Parts: sequence; structure tokens; C-alpha cells
Amino acid sequence: MKNRLKVLRADRDWTQADLADRLQVTRQTINAIEKGKYDPSLPLAFKLAALFELPIEEIFSPETD
Amino acid sequence: MNDARIQASLQAGLKKSTFNLFLATTAWVGSTALMSFGPNTLWNFDTTLTLLAIALNLMAGGLMLYSFFRHLKTMDELQRQTHLEAMALTLGITMVLTVIYGALPQAQVLAEAQPANVLFVIGVSYILSVITLWLRRTSA
Repeated sequence: MKNRLKVLRADRDWTQADLADRLQVTRQTINAIEKGKYDPSLPLAFKLAALFELPIEEIFSPETD
Repeated sequence: MNDARIQASLQAGLKKSTFNLFLATTAWVGSTALMSFGPNTLWNFDTTLTLLAIALNLMAGGLMLYSFFRHLKTMDELQRQTHLEAMALTLGITMVLTVIYGALPQAQVLAEAQPANVLFVIGVSYILSVITLWLRRTSA
């Protein structure tokens, strides 16, 4: 699954650690999601959507898109 | 709570559950030793004491399982996913190697198979699986 996490994070001038703290996960989790090596759970995806105030589909998209 | 304190709190929770798991595992190993060697060395095969040692071992085993599940719940979701996948890999590796190991005495390559060696395979497979999966996901 592709995602725009890195761009959205950079827009807000947050580091991976800043975002990890806001979501209460480790920095490695954010790094793995950004690199497409790990797809977050649905609860974490919803937390990300709430944090960025965007629908989930504007953050994540299937690899085929 | 500020950002540094959130990360510190996550780390502290994980440290505490790791320590609890260590204590429970130590209790299980100790009670396993008691159950295995006690009848011969401590109470001269008294059945009641042996049954008590087995009951103690079951309780310690239950405590270890409970501590492990608590530990899994304390983990961050990437850590949890890594450990669960490592467990699946460990199951497969152990199954394949145990079947081969079990066949060795029949083929007269080994005199006898020791069940303790299976525990060794489980431990090594699990540690290597966790490290490999974690590095695959977190390395640059």
C-alpha cells in the first residue's frame, strides 16, 4: 500500500519522532509505514486520518493506483 | 504529557513487561528443574510431592503464558506484528526440523532424540526470526 505520510508530515514540519509521539507508537513504526514496509492497523490508520484531518483514502492508496 | 515523556512512558511500559516476563520464565525454568530432578534428588520418588511439583510447574507455565500475552499487548503494533510473524516462522521451522530429528534414531544416525533439543531449536528460531523480520522492516 502506498501512502503520503512523509509529505503530510513534512508539510507540518514534524519529524518521525514527533509523529510517533502523537500516535503513541515507536519511531520505527512510522519509518516502516513511510517506506511501505509495514501497513498500519485500521485503528492506527484512523488515528493518522484524525491527526491529519483527512479521509483515510487521501493518505493511503492501493499499490495498483 | 510532552513528546519525550510519551516515548519514555512507552519504553518504561515495555521494560516493565519484559522484566515481568523474565521473572515468570525464571519461575517456570526453576519449577521445571524441580519437577525433573526433585523426585530423584530431593524426595526419593514420593508421588504426592511429585504431583505437587507438577502442579507448581503447570501454574508457573500458566503465569509465563499470561506474562507473555501481557508483554505482547504492551508492544507497539510493529513490534507485535514482528513477534507474531516470528512465532509463525518458529512453528514451521520447529515442525520441519523436529520431524527430521525424530527420524534420526530410526535411521540409526543418532542413538536417541532428546526433547530438550527441540526447546533449543524453538528458542534459536524465534530469536533469529525476530531479528531478521525487525531488520527487514526497519533498516534503510
